[in-house]
Amino acid sequence: MNAAGFWLLAFMLTLYVLLDGYDLGIAIITPFVARTEEERLASIRCIGPFWNGNEVWLIATGAVLFALFPQAYASAFSGFYLAFMVVLWLLMVRGIAIELREHFPSRIWHDFWDACFFLASALLVLLFGVTLGNLLRGLPLDASGFFLGTFAFLLNPYALLVGVFAIAALALHGTAFLMLRLNGAPSDRARTAFSRLWNAVLAAYIIVTAWTLFLHDSIGEIRPFVIAMVTLSVASLFAIRVACTQKRELLTFLASAAFLATLLVATAGTIFPYLLPAYANSLNGISIYSAAPSSLSLITALVFTAVGLILLIAYSTIVWRRLAGKIQL
Amino acid sequence: MSALLIDRLQFSFTIMFHYLFPITTIGLAPFVAGYTWKAARHPEDGDAARAAAFWTKIFAINFAIGVVTGIPMEFQFGTNWARFSARSGSVVGQTLALEGVYAFTLESVFLGVLLYGKRYVPPMFHAISSVLVGIGTLLSSFFIVATNAWMQHPVGYHIGPSGKIELDSLAAVLLSPFALWAFLHVLMGAFIAGSFVVAGIGAYYLLSERELALGRRFLRSGVIVAAICTTLAAFPTGDRNAANVTTYQPVKLAAMEGLFTTQRGAPLAIIGMPDTKNGTLIDPIAVPDLLSFLAYSNFRANVKGLDAYAKTLWPPVELTYYAYHIMIGLGTTFSGIAFLAALLLWRGLLYRWRPMLWVLLLVIPFPYIANEAGWVVTEVGRQPWIIYGLMRTSEAPSSTVVAGETMFTLIGFAGMYFMLGVLFLYLVLREIAIGPGSRGAVRPAAEVTA
Repeated sequence: MNAAGFWLLAFMLTLYVLLDGYDLGIAIITPFVARTEEERLASIRCIGPFWNGNEVWLIATGAVLFALFPQAYASAFSGFYLAFMVVLWLLMVRGIAIELREHFPSRIWHDFWDACFFLASALLVLLFGVTLGNLLRGLPLDASGFFLGTFAFLLNPYALLVGVFAIAALALHGTAFLMLRLNGAPSDRARTAFSRLWNAVLAAYIIVTAWTLFLHDSIGEIRPFVIAMVTLSVASLFAIRVACTQKRELLTFLASAAFLATLLVATAGTIFPYLLPAYANSLNGISIYSAAPSSLSLITALVFTAVGLILLIAYSTIVWRRLAGKIQL
Repeated sequence: MSALLIDRLQFSFTIMFHYLFPITTIGLAPFVAGYTWKAARHPEDGDAARAAAFWTKIFAINFAIGVVTGIPMEFQFGTNWARFSARSGSVVGQTLALEGVYAFTLESVFLGVLLYGKRYVPPMFHAISSVLVGIGTLLSSFFIVATNAWMQHPVGYHIGPSGKIELDSLAAVLLSPFALWAFLHVLMGAFIAGSFVVAGIGAYYLLSERELALGRRFLRSGVIVAAICTTLAAFPTGDRNAANVTTYQPVKLAAMEGLFTTQRGAPLAIIGMPDTKNGTLIDPIAVPDLLSFLAYSNFRANVKGLDAYAKTLWPPVELTYYAYHIMIGLGTTFSGIAFLAALLLWRGLLYRWRPMLWVLLLVIPFPYIANEAGWVVTEVGRQPWIIYGLMRTSEAPSSTVVAGETMFTLIGFAGMYFMLGVLFLYLVLREIAIGPGSRGAVRPAAEVTA
């Protein structure tokens, strides 16, 4: 049951990355592929109706973490106090930027919010990547599971590299979504940028994987399930390339989604059963067993979350189908 | 300053600023849904479409600020109140997760359709989306109020072996008597604010002699809703809340009423200033025996005063007392204004009598003050407990976060929220100045591609 809670959270977080990932990615690439005001507007309209519904997955994941594993929620959020506050502020700036940009018709107003949108989104992705990197690397925790390190500790070279990888991967994901929804000049520029981005993702992926293997003492420790996921992710990465060359836009996007999903599941499989793994093999990590409340509250939260997610996926699908299709410039 | 004090300041500042926006969201949602629905059913009614477009725009600006200021609320339990979260997460996490999974999601997904989808979906789908956004806001407020109600009156739990609070029954938490009446009272508060905003903006257009047809329409629907909701806010919802406080939190009742000494036939203080040092009300105007009657339906009933409790169990008396009297005083005034306006509307005089229109325009900010004051009574009056009778507020803050860190983020929030406030006022006042006349069926160029 505790394991079911862990995988439910992993599922929610993965869906969050797949969904909000494309709108974060679009925020990152917009300044490079959209040159005129009309193009920028069209680029943002690709995600306009969706971004809020996507971001809500992050909020819901946080809330479900609170219900399923209160100790992990309390330690993580108070331990990384400053880092979390920076993330909150960036989320706020980003939300305001996209929602308010069109409420005032003026060049300078649009430019200002576009810059905010780009910077806040890029920094957020970097920080999300850094978080993931630190989870893979392990954290210095005291015996009751509270974080002992500093903000500077979190910004170590390995985690920063994962952050850069995250920016490249989500930019690629956003580009795939942009090509799916938009025609015209921005889409053509996106296609040109796509192969360069893909090369960057491949390079970052190789370095990150090598470094991750180096962090874990022996390859024999790695679970076969994780190896399978990583293999699938490599296959998806090449599938992205092939699908893009064949101009099959939906397939490109789906392959990119598969790439991100397999990588995240592999990460979850690596840290399982820990929610916050400890650094350098100390035993203080917060696991799904040490952080869970009574089994009754775990079951209750699992059941209503599962039902709620099924409903959410159902009505989101209806809305997506209604609003899908190409945006006209 | 202690870390505890700064944590409390940060929470009260961020929640009070945030709450201004949900009040408007909840309060305007019925109007947005109503106008959108009408516009979909009666395409020939151009005014309905214009009204729907106008209020959707105001709603959207408000919702944007509400969403972004709501994000820190969800996470502050963990960042600033980690010991509270670790101990009570088994219960408090449930209701917050319910909100995340059932309410936020519904709101956000269908808000996308409401704001951007008009061109892509049939009018009825658009109208239903506006209703679903409204339902999402109601669900959201229910789960939040249920969380708070549990902190006021914990039910459906047991204390585990490690001292942690463990959930026994989610149904008991959600159906707690405290939750139901507090939720309905919160709704009435928000509807009063929303209806006075709608009526007040209608009054503004009539006073400035433009948008006459829509101005009248706003006035009419605003005044009718305000008359109904001001009544329901007092009775039964306000009355039942007070009964819950009387039963479960008698020391809060004593602080609210400024009743220092236990007595038979306790008076109801209309005004007066509490002096906690000497334990009296200064310069009171009081109605004899009325408090006993309101609390126990008996003029000679014995009501416990603050003297019945150790001083360490007193909430901050002055703040609780003033907040309560501000809420009650304003609520009574709103009732009077709404009924007078309804009477004038019925006699056909409302649209012409400028003094009444001025009153309706100037009253707009006050329901917000009353709503916030009501929450101050609830929250400050709960002190020194964070979970009533179970956990003290002083035991709740994060052990790893020091005063300096919280001060830094408090300053950060203050700066950011100041800018958000300026931005909000600028954009909303601009929309009101542009007016609803140019909207609706013929949408401005900037919106056509939306």
